[in-house]
Amino acid sequence: MKHYNKLVRPYLIWSVLIILVPIIMIVLYSVTTGGNALVNISFTLKNFTKIGEPIYLEVLKKSLVLGFVSVSICLVLGYILAYFITKFKDSVQDLLILLVTIPMWINTLLRTYAWISLLSDNGLINSFLGLFGMDAKTFMYTDFAVVIGLVSDILPFMVIPIHTSIRKIDRSLIEAAQDLGADKVQTFMKVTLKMSIPGVINGVMMTFLLSISTFVIPKLLGGGQYMLIGNLIENQFISVGNWNFGSAISIILTAIILIGLTLMKKFDRDDREEELERAKNK
Amino acid sequence: MQRTNKRSKVLYILYIAVLFVFFYLPIVVTMVFSFNSSKSLTHMTGFSFRWYERLINDGSIMKAVYVSLTVALFATVISTILGTITAIGLSKNKKIVKDVIMNINNITIMSPDIVTAIGLMILFSSIMMAKGYMTMLLAHIAFCTPYVVTAVYPKVRQLDPAIADAAMDLGATPFQALIKVIIPMLKDGIYAGILLAFTMSFDDFVISYFVTGNGVENISIIVYNMTKRTNPTINALSTIVILTIAILIVISKLVPSVLRKHMKKLLAVAGVLLVGLAIFAGTRSGGRTLRIYNAGEYIDPELIEEFEAEYDCKVVYETFDSNESMYTKIKSGAEYDILIPSDYMIERLIKEEFLQPVNWNNIPNAKGLNKEIMGMPYDPDNTYSVPYFVGTVGILYDTTIVDEKDLSEGWELLRDEKYKGQVYMYDSERDSFMIALKANGYSMNTEDYGEIEEAYRWLIEQRDSMDVVYAGDDVIDNMISGNKALAVVYSGDGAYIMVENENMDYFEPEQGTNEWCDAMVMTKDCRDEELAEAFMNYMLDPEVAERNSVFVGYTSPVSCVADTLAATEFEGISAYVPNFGAPKNEAFGYQEMKLKQHFADLWTKVKAY
Repeated sequence: MKHYNKLVRPYLIWSVLIILVPIIMIVLYSVTTGGNALVNISFTLKNFTKIGEPIYLEVLKKSLVLGFVSVSICLVLGYILAYFITKFKDSVQDLLILLVTIPMWINTLLRTYAWISLLSDNGLINSFLGLFGMDAKTFMYTDFAVVIGLVSDILPFMVIPIHTSIRKIDRSLIEAAQDLGADKVQTFMKVTLKMSIPGVINGVMMTFLLSISTFVIPKLLGGGQYMLIGNLIENQFISVGNWNFGSAISIILTAIILIGLTLMKKFDRDDREEELERAKNK
Repeated sequence: MQRTNKRSKVLYILYIAVLFVFFYLPIVVTMVFSFNSSKSLTHMTGFSFRWYERLINDGSIMKAVYVSLTVALFATVISTILGTITAIGLSKNKKIVKDVIMNINNITIMSPDIVTAIGLMILFSSIMMAKGYMTMLLAHIAFCTPYVVTAVYPKVRQLDPAIADAAMDLGATPFQALIKVIIPMLKDGIYAGILLAFTMSFDDFVISYFVTGNGVENISIIVYNMTKRTNPTINALSTIVILTIAILIVISKLVPSVLRKHMKKLLAVAGVLLVGLAIFAGTRSGGRTLRIYNAGEYIDPELIEEFEAEYDCKVVYETFDSNESMYTKIKSGAEYDILIPSDYMIERLIKEEFLQPVNWNNIPNAKGLNKEIMGMPYDPDNTYSVPYFVGTVGILYDTTIVDEKDLSEGWELLRDEKYKGQVYMYDSERDSFMIALKANGYSMNTEDYGEIEEAYRWLIEQRDSMDVVYAGDDVIDNMISGNKALAVVYSGDGAYIMVENENMDYFEPEQGTNEWCDAMVMTKDCRDEELAEAFMNYMLDPEVAERNSVFVGYTSPVSCVADTLAATEFEGISAYVPNFGAPKNEAFGYQEMKLKQHFADLWTKVKAY
């Protein structure tokens, strides 16, 4: 298959031009001051040290916690959903997966507006609770609202890769495990779960990325006081107009994500290598 | 599968059903509200088809649908091909090449949208590429391709390398082996990539928003700029989208064989049609054009059409969601003829030399302008700006909850613990500090750091004792639904809310408030000054100004129009008659970068806790 190694060239050129060059520009912004005028540019690390201020660290922490919580919820809900879907026959599976994808085609902003009308103080959920004589609860502008909105937005990105990886597990492996005396739990843990790890990692990566950089959902469901790192970046670029500091935060965010993903990948690779070794030893 | 017993099947179905309710509840709500008789997205007042009518008549939405669809289709096709061949090539390359590409890929996926957007915007500006359809498409390909690579590459890794060799040993050329053997085996991954790419592109907002221009807007941009005046037109559109998808699914399930047989032909025809349409849309008729950049939902669209007919020209009309995002776009090289920003932003644009003077001789309708709003500090002689709408900032309150006697507290009403948990502040740094400074008896344009510090404390104490919510334009819908008792609003929004919810009333505290003015200005890039001035004059024509004011709900700067409407259309709506010239009122002035940065840091501290 050596013939195909040249196939990467178009993309290599393309990505240098349209992905790498803008990134270099942003890095340049992050280590300079002087706003957008090129005349009075000077190099500095001040933009980075500024992030060390307690208020910004707090924002960073909040974003990480929210990301962790929403990804965990998505993982549990999404894995079970993906697993259950694989229990149906192929045509039904296709249909169910399609149904998981459709909501993604409806504008995110609109779906978030719909959550506002569901969750607001005089909203549909409170009216529904009222039917059972329950007092109205405040959902809007709380962590709960933001997590609900976020999870409903990113859950499909967890379900689809996991489903894909469970589905392609060879049935005979599962049957073999059962024939060899493994009970249901053992079969699931040792075969299904283990073999679906690549899908899980893909799903976790996607949802983590989406949840940690979001800014529209927290803004609408959490209110202006719900400041996450995405909002901070947006603020710096749009309202404050401090592109230098905005670029520095973007780079920090990108670095955090890079580290997180490298760790996850390493975990994935180690796992694979371990398997390979075991196979060899046998 | 036979081993699955009935009981667990019920469990599966139940669980799937519950999660699907979670997925589809917001969509069902969206669909239901498309039939709402009023503008609210949270309160059902009756059944009607009016939003569907409006959708069909709204040229800009139909155009946006076209842009969203074609960009998504082209971006999907191109990025799928590019991504798939890259993924195939990738596994056959040296580790170093692999690492470089995978890392570039990850960086694109991982960068927050806003960073990618700004990066691309800077790129397109620096190579002087005209912003519009092409830049949007390029940007979409840029962010979709990495997703395709990520989806396809794992499949390539699982591929047995011997398979392609086997095909070639049997006489296939490398190309044939690729098309007939490898790609079919990657089908699942490619399919996932297509889905991802299409979804990402169709739903994208941030990146499109920054890289587009010249009137090219997709659905998301239209929706986002509508937040000021949300209405169910977009819900109607979504309902149609959902139904279309549903119908397509049913058809493909019912006649799969027919579809499969003719799939290639159908795709080819669709492709040709799209290319044709894109070329058609790309060509623009000659003649005069006027490029206007205004806040979202801030004009009666019929007026634009009538202006086009009257002056035999084409208006390229684009919208922004805030003065600041408009500024960011202008600063990054976007070109327009007319802008309609607010006072303090106009002052900034004047100082940074983005504007050119207006020739008032060409605007005879100016004689009708309210004298009190002329010559404000941002542009003392009105050299550059022609007023468009005017108003104040005040408190909107629910008369059924708030005691009239408490109104004498002025801005302190927002810190009255009687109304704890009942307050919406407006999520705007300048307006919030204006309130805190006025409450302390200072000028809202103070440069005294001690006074600013006091105002900051005022806001912190308010935040901690009142559980305030800093809402954006969602405050409009929230107050129409009566979710809280008090809200800081612009007078025009107040008028709009009061029309929809009669329990609400508006007042301006005596400690003084912000008198603002949104005005039309002409940029230095303006290509047709005569036409720009004709437009400004047209908007001040009493009949036009009246229709616009009725449509938007903001106070007209044309005296006779404001007076007439206050006595007719907006009778009893106090917010339509802002109290101009109250002794302690002021207008926002220009802030130097250092001061601006100081306020921004303090505001971040107020909000993030």
